Amino acid sequence: MRTRGFGSFAAATLVAGAILWSFATTDVEMARLVSAGPRIADFLGRMFPPDPTIMDEILKGSAETLRIAVLGTLGAVLLSVPLGLLASETMAAPAFFRPIRTLLAIIRAVPLILVAMLMVGAVGLGPLPGIIAIAFHATGMLAKFYAEAIDGVSRAPLAALESAGAGPLARLRYAIWPQMAPVVARDTIFRFELNLRESLILGIVGAGGIGFYIQTYVRSFQYDKAASVTLAVVAMVIAIEGVNVWLRRRFS
Amino acid sequence: MTVATQIDDVSFAHSGGDTRALKRVSLSVQAGEIVALLGPSGAGKTTFLTLLDGRLRDWRGRVSVFGAPLDPDHPPPRARRPDTGFVFQEFALVERSTVLRNVLNGRLGRMSPLRAVLGSPTAHDRRVARDALADCGIADLAHRRVDSLSGGQRQRVAIARCLAQEPRLILADEPVSSLDPTRAAEILALLTESARARGATVLFSSHQPDLARRFAQRIVGLRAGRIAFDVPTSELSEAATADLYRDVAQMPEIGLRAVT
Repeated sequence: MRTRGFGSFAAATLVAGAILWSFATTDVEMARLVSAGPRIADFLGRMFPPDPTIMDEILKGSAETLRIAVLGTLGAVLLSVPLGLLASETMAAPAFFRPIRTLLAIIRAVPLILVAMLMVGAVGLGPLPGIIAIAFHATGMLAKFYAEAIDGVSRAPLAALESAGAGPLARLRYAIWPQMAPVVARDTIFRFELNLRESLILGIVGAGGIGFYIQTYVRSFQYDKAASVTLAVVAMVIAIEGVNVWLRRRFS
Repeated sequence: MTVATQIDDVSFAHSGGDTRALKRVSLSVQAGEIVALLGPSGAGKTTFLTLLDGRLRDWRGRVSVFGAPLDPDHPPPRARRPDTGFVFQEFALVERSTVLRNVLNGRLGRMSPLRAVLGSPTAHDRRVARDALADCGIADLAHRRVDSLSGGQRQRVAIARCLAQEPRLILADEPVSSLDPTRAAEILALLTESARARGATVLFSSHQPDLARRFAQRIVGLRAGRIAFDVPTSELSEAATADLYRDVAQMPEIGLRAVT
């Protein structure tokens, strides 16, 4: 009990310390915050009304973002199936699943934007670096989810099939897969939604998609056009969320 | 007469060192016998049956099933595993699969590994599965998903899966303890009758003396990992049964669970 009391005291001190340190060492000028009001109003004023004449650019950019998300997710799924199997305790030996899990943790720790910038440098501008970056980045999460889905299945049917003499692949197909399929579908759809959100900004570093137009219009002070792009992005995210909810209801 | 299983001086201790251990158990079961393994929770019934099914490691002693020895260090070869069928207390079915798929899963050990993975059972596999479904009275449920079934129906599916294996020895671990009394008697009747029709040997565990008396020819009492008695059903005395539950009866909660 004493150690637990000390533990929470130490944690509280640490949190308080972090907040104080951040305030003390960052230039937080309240005066600037107050004067920002009119400027934000000015921005919003210039964004209104949104410019509808750039419909072609919006459609082109949205379609490319969607393609990057679809192909990036496909790449991540293809990589995650073998990696997920190798990262699961149920299917792989500790000599495999431990190092693979570490590798996946490292992949997850690399920010997407950094991967995208490196890929633009490696393969040039356009959607290809975006697709590769998304596939790579998403695999860190998706392979981990797949491994957890495999390890989360009920063990009893596995024991029953083992008892009947089914081999490891037959057990995977008939005892593990039917149990994990809805989880895999849900995780993949969830990751696709994240991929779409994240691929929106890839254009800023030249990796294709609608982000390119956001950057162009904001930097050239065409706020009415930037507003149109923003509205398109919001509409797209809401639409994908709707589709996601509908799919999740079907796969249960 | 053929010996179904011969067990000599078998001991086992879980690494945790809890109960459910086995201490110098010896038993011989003849082919075609129907034997009940009676004992309170924690007596080692599940451990004993799991060992006989070849799914337990690191035990000591000698065990053979139809003349073939079990190896405490390795699972039995794939070809021999279908010979021993297992019925689980909590059914152990794949809930999202259909009844027929679950029963066909019992055939996986009888198919070539390639056929098993590709999911193309032969006409013979399908016929055996259909027959098992019919014998268990659930032919009309073949295409229903297991998660839509009742407990009694689920255990019928599990027994059909076990029969589809064409086992010579059927091990049933508390097959009816999660069912109501009427359902329990129905299921045990189904299990023992279909085994008898196929000439299979049955070893089922139960903590309910009345069910053991009703469905077994022979009753083996297990208490704290040791065989307390081994008698023909007609010779089982009330005193021997009471003695089996002596320790648990002193602990009210556990005693109640063990005898109800």
